[in-house]
Amino acid sequence: MTLVDVSERGSPPRHSFGARLSDLVNPILVREVQQAVKGRVFPWAILLALAASVVIASVVSSEERGVVNGRGVFSAGLATLAPLLLFVVPMQAYNSMRTELRGGIVEQLLMTRLGPGRVLIGKLQAAMVQFLLYVSLLAPLLATSYLLRGVDLPTIAVSLFFAFVACLTATAFAISSAAQAIVPALQAIANLGMAFGLGVATLGAVFAIAGGDYTQLIGALIRSGQLTVTLTAVTLAATVSVTLSWLTARSYLLHTFEDKSSGFRVFLWALPVLVYGWMCVFVERAYWSEVFPSLTVGLLLMGIGFGVFMVTEQRALSPRVRHHVPKGGLTSALAAPLLPGRDRGMLCFTAFALFLLAVGWSFWPQGGLDERGPDLVARVGLMIFAYGLFYLNAGRWLRGLLPETVPGSQAGRVVMPVLLFACIVVPLLVDGLRGGYVGEWHWGHVLNPFWTTVHAVSDRWVDAQPVVLGALVALSIAQVPLWIRGVGEVTRASTALRRR
Amino acid sequence: MTALLQVKNLSRRYGKVRAVSDLCFEMGCGQITGFVGPNGAGKTTTMRIAATLDVPDGGDVLVDGTSVLVEPRLARMRIGYMSDQFHPYPNLDVMQFLDFFARAYGLRSRRRIETVHSVANFCGLGSFLDRPATGLSKGMGQRLHLAKTLLHDPALLILDEPASGLDPRARIEFRDLLKRLAAAGKGILISSHILPELGEMCDSVVVIEKGERVVAGAIGDVQREAQLEQTIVAKVTREADAEAMQRHLAELPMVGDVAVDGVQLRFAFVGDDDDLAGVLAGCVAAGYGLVEFSRDAADLEDIFLKTTKGRLQ
Ligand SMILES: Nc1ncnc2c1ncn2[C@@H]1O[C@H](COP(=O)(O)OP(=O)(O)O)[C@@H](O)[C@H]1O
Ligand SMILES: [Mg+2]
Repeated sequence: MTLVDVSERGSPPRHSFGARLSDLVNPILVREVQQAVKGRVFPWAILLALAASVVIASVVSSEERGVVNGRGVFSAGLATLAPLLLFVVPMQAYNSMRTELRGGIVEQLLMTRLGPGRVLIGKLQAAMVQFLLYVSLLAPLLATSYLLRGVDLPTIAVSLFFAFVACLTATAFAISSAAQAIVPALQAIANLGMAFGLGVATLGAVFAIAGGDYTQLIGALIRSGQLTVTLTAVTLAATVSVTLSWLTARSYLLHTFEDKSSGFRVFLWALPVLVYGWMCVFVERAYWSEVFPSLTVGLLLMGIGFGVFMVTEQRALSPRVRHHVPKGGLTSALAAPLLPGRDRGMLCFTAFALFLLAVGWSFWPQGGLDERGPDLVARVGLMIFAYGLFYLNAGRWLRGLLPETVPGSQAGRVVMPVLLFACIVVPLLVDGLRGGYVGEWHWGHVLNPFWTTVHAVSDRWVDAQPVVLGALVALSIAQVPLWIRGVGEVTRASTALRRR
Repeated sequence: MTALLQVKNLSRRYGKVRAVSDLCFEMGCGQITGFVGPNGAGKTTTMRIAATLDVPDGGDVLVDGTSVLVEPRLARMRIGYMSDQFHPYPNLDVMQFLDFFARAYGLRSRRRIETVHSVANFCGLGSFLDRPATGLSKGMGQRLHLAKTLLHDPALLILDEPASGLDPRARIEFRDLLKRLAAAGKGILISSHILPELGEMCDSVVVIEKGERVVAGAIGDVQREAQLEQTIVAKVTREADAEAMQRHLAELPMVGDVAVDGVQLRFAFVGDDDDLAGVLAGCVAAGYGLVEFSRDAADLEDIFLKTTKGRLQ
């Protein structure tokens, strides 16, 4: 017997076409629109935007200077849009996410069929609806500037594209910062970071646009022939940033009690495909010898960034994950680096870096004798790899001393930069206290990645190379027991599943 | 037939605190089970794990045979969880609030609108549909919270202290709603500090303390069990009689420690009503000036006090 049978019938429900249409839309979006209609921020923002465009239009139409005016109108319109898109829209998303978290409402949502993914997408959609609304409010102004021949259509299109990308990225960032506030200790940091980051971005954008630099830059970009490569690069960077925000928010919403980083790990492995793919499609072949090495080293640095999170997780699989490992023996072993846990995190990072090393080995451009060429980048890359292995391993070990909880993992993430800082500063202090000044590099500074790299990669590479390669091999071999332990846990869980 | 809710050897620690340790109990469809324990006993923790919102260190919870660890998504569809806090969204009216959650539960078109209306009517919200959700009284707010919990027609309701903070009238109305739900076949696990409340509607109770089960079972059984060891209070006319009666009682096999306070005696007694009648007859025959000889009826509150001994974490 369902409730419908139990309860007495109420008034006959209506069912309009609009209601049927709204079935197709993300429920979060429907609700946000309903709330916005009743709320205050939204009508005020619309009023202000309208007022601004009326003011600009009347000021401009009182003067008669043709082309200059057109550009002025365009800049003024964009400068009005910037705070709306970079501050109001993300801040709205931030606040609505915060409301969601207050008193654990979000848990009520997660009990429904809305996963964290759809919650976040709903929020982003709501932000994009606002984007469209604000842009259409200022559209008459932009059209006027075009009619006054101040700007051409490509400039308007490119500007709106950048505005869209910036708005989306900022909103995703805002939502993920708000989601992190689910951990009370991070709330203050999230609030501050949000207001500060968005404020600075907005001010910067308004000044750049109002000063006219922005329009000139876009003009130069369109004329330079680098437009496609720039647009795709911006899109790629925004995609990476939005995906990271999304994954972060999702992991905070879903797993406040367990580390569950598989999404990040899969994304890390997807990055080379995206980045090298972009290079092959959009970058002219003539530039590959420059672009390829920097992309590879950039990916390696990204890997270390992800690594910091992966190697500070709880060691064991949570019961929930343990019940969902792949059932096949081989597939479970292969999937092991993608499953949470710090031993497997070490394995994932090392495998990723070795993969980059192999790609580099196969396709690295010939640098010849030029000291600034690809050879130098290769040496820097090797040094980064070695230091990455060292510090991640040290961080993993230190994290092992902390409790096996999520706060323990978070503390572990803080410990690592502190360790790096100490390894850099302590030898410098010792030098300073002993000799009164900091002189030449010596072995005491070997844990200082920056100085040592600068010191080693140029004319001393002949001496440094065996040390770096030796360190790489030693640090890799030292991890083998971890890998065995990490993979073993997964295959055992898989065997247990098969037995049932 | 498998039980609707099975809690199996559940354990959860927060750092050094053992919030729940090795907890086991079961409940069936159409049953209302009271979940009782002092503050910090681990009720909320247990309920959150059962509602898939927390992960245990050990053990499992099965809802209708589905493990909340292995298939949390499937389990969620069978659970209505009403947490101990309720914060509706600002700038939404009651109808929109329910409609939003109905959408979130995947209800579509006519079915959604019908469900929202019938649930709202069932919970007595029919005439409040256009009120702002944040402006309701505590009692109406709890009804809205319950209505939201019922939208997807879950088989199991997990209610965390739903009646706390309600005035007596609202509490009685809320209790009637729950009784109707149980009559419609839903299993209800309800935690509360308002123990006499639970006694009137629960079929069974689970008492926990410091995360461990103290007693569990049908209310009648637990009451009988509790009555097996009961405290008897007696009053005599003179202090000399009290001391003489203390010596007399101390020799009886079913009587535990006897405490004397002036003319009043308190003693623990293990035995059934016939045994107790025998003790009373013996005392009267011995000629003590008895003016009072009584036993506290073991209602839920007594079970609670007796079993948890008032130790708070
Ligand atoms: N998120 C948490 N972090 C740390 N300790 C917690 C947390 N939640 C509950 N506890 C602790 O676990 C114990 C049980 O709490 P809880 O389940 O809320 O008890 P109850 O609902 O019975 O009052 C308490 O000692 C409490 O302090
Ligand atoms: Mg509680």
